[in-house]
Amino acid sequence: MSRERRRLRMPVDTGRTGFWIDPRTKMVILLLCVLSAAMAPSLHYEVLLVLLITCFGIACRKVRYSIIGALAYAAVYFLTIAALKTHGSVQVMLAAFLGLVHKVYPCGILSGILISTTKVGEFLSAMNRSHVSQKIVIPVAVMMRYIPTVREDWHFIKDAMKMRDISPSLKSFLTHPGMTVECIYVPLMMAASKTADELTVASVTRGIENPKPRTSNVQIGFGVWDVVVTACFLALFLAGQL
Amino acid sequence: MAIQSSYLDKKGLTVKDLVTIGIFTALFFVFELIGSLPFAPNPALTFYQPFGIALLCGPVFLLMVAKVPKRGTIAILGIINGIVWFALGMHWGMDLGYIIMGIAAEIVAGIKGYKNIKWNIAAYALFCLGPAGVFVAYFFDPLVWAKTMLEKGTAQEYIDTMTANAPTGMLPAILLGTIVIAVISGLVGKKLLKKQFERAGITETRS
Amino acid sequence: MIELRQITFSYKGNQTGREGSQEGPEQGKGGLQNVNLTIQDGECILLCGRSGCGKTTITRLVNGLIPRFYAGDLSGQVFINGQDIADYPMYEIAEHIGSVFQNPRTQFFNVDSDSEIAFGMENEACPPEEMKKRVDITAKDLDIEHLRGRSLHELSGGEKQKIAFASVYAMNPDIYLLDEPSSNLDMEAIGDLKRHLALVKKQGKTILIAEHRLYYLMDLADRIVYMEQGQITGIYTPKQFREIPEARREEMGLRATSLNTVHPKTAIPVPSVPLLELKDVALRYRKHTVLDGINLTAGAGEIIGIIGHNGAGKTTLSRALCGLHKNSDGQFIWNGHPQSNKGRLKRSYMVMQDVNYELFAESVRAECTFGIRKAPPGFVDSTMEKLGLTPYRDKHPNTLSGGQKQRVAVAVSMICGKELLVFDEPTSGLDFDSMRQVAELIRELSAAGKIIFIVTHDYEFICRTCSRILHVDYGRQCEDFPVSSITENQIRQLFSM
Repeated sequence: MSRERRRLRMPVDTGRTGFWIDPRTKMVILLLCVLSAAMAPSLHYEVLLVLLITCFGIACRKVRYSIIGALAYAAVYFLTIAALKTHGSVQVMLAAFLGLVHKVYPCGILSGILISTTKVGEFLSAMNRSHVSQKIVIPVAVMMRYIPTVREDWHFIKDAMKMRDISPSLKSFLTHPGMTVECIYVPLMMAASKTADELTVASVTRGIENPKPRTSNVQIGFGVWDVVVTACFLALFLAGQL
Repeated sequence: MAIQSSYLDKKGLTVKDLVTIGIFTALFFVFELIGSLPFAPNPALTFYQPFGIALLCGPVFLLMVAKVPKRGTIAILGIINGIVWFALGMHWGMDLGYIIMGIAAEIVAGIKGYKNIKWNIAAYALFCLGPAGVFVAYFFDPLVWAKTMLEKGTAQEYIDTMTANAPTGMLPAILLGTIVIAVISGLVGKKLLKKQFERAGITETRS
Repeated sequence: MIELRQITFSYKGNQTGREGSQEGPEQGKGGLQNVNLTIQDGECILLCGRSGCGKTTITRLVNGLIPRFYAGDLSGQVFINGQDIADYPMYEIAEHIGSVFQNPRTQFFNVDSDSEIAFGMENEACPPEEMKKRVDITAKDLDIEHLRGRSLHELSGGEKQKIAFASVYAMNPDIYLLDEPSSNLDMEAIGDLKRHLALVKKQGKTILIAEHRLYYLMDLADRIVYMEQGQITGIYTPKQFREIPEARREEMGLRATSLNTVHPKTAIPVPSVPLLELKDVALRYRKHTVLDGINLTAGAGEIIGIIGHNGAGKTTLSRALCGLHKNSDGQFIWNGHPQSNKGRLKRSYMVMQDVNYELFAESVRAECTFGIRKAPPGFVDSTMEKLGLTPYRDKHPNTLSGGQKQRVAVAVSMICGKELLVFDEPTSGLDFDSMRQVAELIRELSAAGKIIFIVTHDYEFICRTCSRILHVDYGRQCEDFPVSSITENQIRQLFSM
């Protein structure tokens, strides 16, 4: 039966052999990266930061992604050099925009690597272990689980709109704002409220309110690589502040 | 009886409330992404990104508060937004902005016990200023912002250009614009709530 | 032992989610009146009756959701092993009672299957080594090893439901509660569910199951409890229950107890003038071909059931019929003229499985004209009258029952003047009465000259309504034959009966 199903099955990284780092370490290096980018003393320094991230990405076996990221950064780099040669308000606008790009871009690609190598279970387990309040952990877990559902819902709603001859586009948003707004928000939010009730029922009947400290199916822990990676990012950050 | 409907009348946040917050935060986040899309990658529009967010999220925010009118709801929305945008590598000004404005919005909506729609809309407008944190960081000191990109020597020229073309009016324009758009979005949300969700039995009807 | 003593309960006012997700929160539905029931350890009890008879309410009382989650006026007590459960918090009840619900899409909490199976144990603070063992055993016992390590969002409804059962199984409760678990399952998945239930029964667990589809439980149930309007009006053994004559059973609002007694009704004569023709249609998703070699003609008034396994491309085919799926080759011909996507979109309408997605307006009346540019008011009113929607004209569609919502969607299609209708799993979660009403409705639409396609797993429903069967599997059209007593065996084979 399942040509289609087999195609959909995605390879899942089950083991954590070789280079694996703890989600808590990931948060730390992301923070170091944000700080480094925010306080970068020069463009050359940023180039170094992006290089480090690229190497890290390759170590995480995200080779293609990291190299494309690095090449795109090279393009932004040369664009920046060119932009600085402009004058007047164009320069101000470009400088402001590119300034934002330079502050965000390295963190963006690093975050892409981190997110694609972290399973939701690992992330939640890390939050639990770091004693983050259940008032944050539960909503975050639900959110992660629900975002793909929003997409599925939206596909159904789009179909339903088309059959009513309301096109789900910007144009119809401008010509029939009231109707389009209802089409988009009403079914999405109805489904959301219904799911909230049913999901609560499904989780309380499996004991989510148990006050015992929750254990986790996903085991996380620090290793040598955590130290090495943190040291690299910390070193680069300190180097920038000298 | 103490046991009667402990999920429905309990003062603090119950699991039901937390799950509801999680689901609406997901919706909120999706609308934020859609709202940011036309703005963020465009050099001329990037600074108006809060407009896109403010425009789309009003109904979601108001329904969430109507479903969980308790202390903590809005603050949790702000904190999670801060965490998620941080994990996505966004500028720290935005992450911090969400958390601070989330708490500010929480206080404002809390004054009327989260039940007054006008105050909830006001809270929403405040909340939407969160993502503008990036730009506050920029306008606070545009020179530091661009310092990285400037080779030595061009700084003086840049300062001159900056002083000549300083977009002084832009920050208030962004903040004010965000508030106005947020209020519009909030009013649309109010209408939807009244017209649809109260009648549908999703939220309690208020007299 | 479970003991319900003198339970009287009514749901509080205007609350949603009253009896299952398919039914609306109508006043006074689903409550109980003076119910007494004792269930011995190791017994398997089937609760049946019409929607709103109170069977779901009983399951909610036993797992403690009433009164903690669903508010209302309650008197009487529920004892489990001699303990009044009112004295225990939800999480302690959860260690002894496992619950599986109707909708597979809304009962998973995690994004991957392993975490979901372990979810209940994580809450109980089960040590990691033991948890790992338990997950392995669960996967092995339930034969779901191929589902491990998968993203839940890519699983079919039936597979999600298996994971939901596995998550409860992993907690090893003494009592299993199931609330209409088969509503969204195909026959194969129902077969698996039956095997899983037989397994836990053999382990000596107590099973309490509220259900509309009865046939698969006849070998498992020890007692069958029939309820009417909040009261238990009959308790049967499977033997007695099977002996209830068909006419009486239908009067009781119950579905067939054995599919062997369900036979196709006489087919509607197939019209000779073909109206719709599909020529060499192939459907693709990106570059991958989902379905290939579809050739068919259909005349006005035909009712064609589309059947096949999950993932066989039934949904893609029905979307293509409505002009919603664009990536296709071949021709769609209507009345001799080739049709573009837009042309099909104008002509056809799909009644979705979750019909909530296509309801947008604030009242039934507004829904019937929403987005429809030329809707003569007289016609709108007469259509609503014909479908029995007039009493609900000012109600919000969300407050209606599943069957009524479907009628609203059908009303919309009629007012738009659609000529081709696709129903996607129209009977999921419906009781016998509602199923019969949908069948009647579809026959009326057919008599009015519409072409109707029905995607369904429901053998009973096919026998009641369809004039023809289109079987798609293995990425192509396999069979196309009329429904009649002659082809009965062929149909049975398709359902592996």
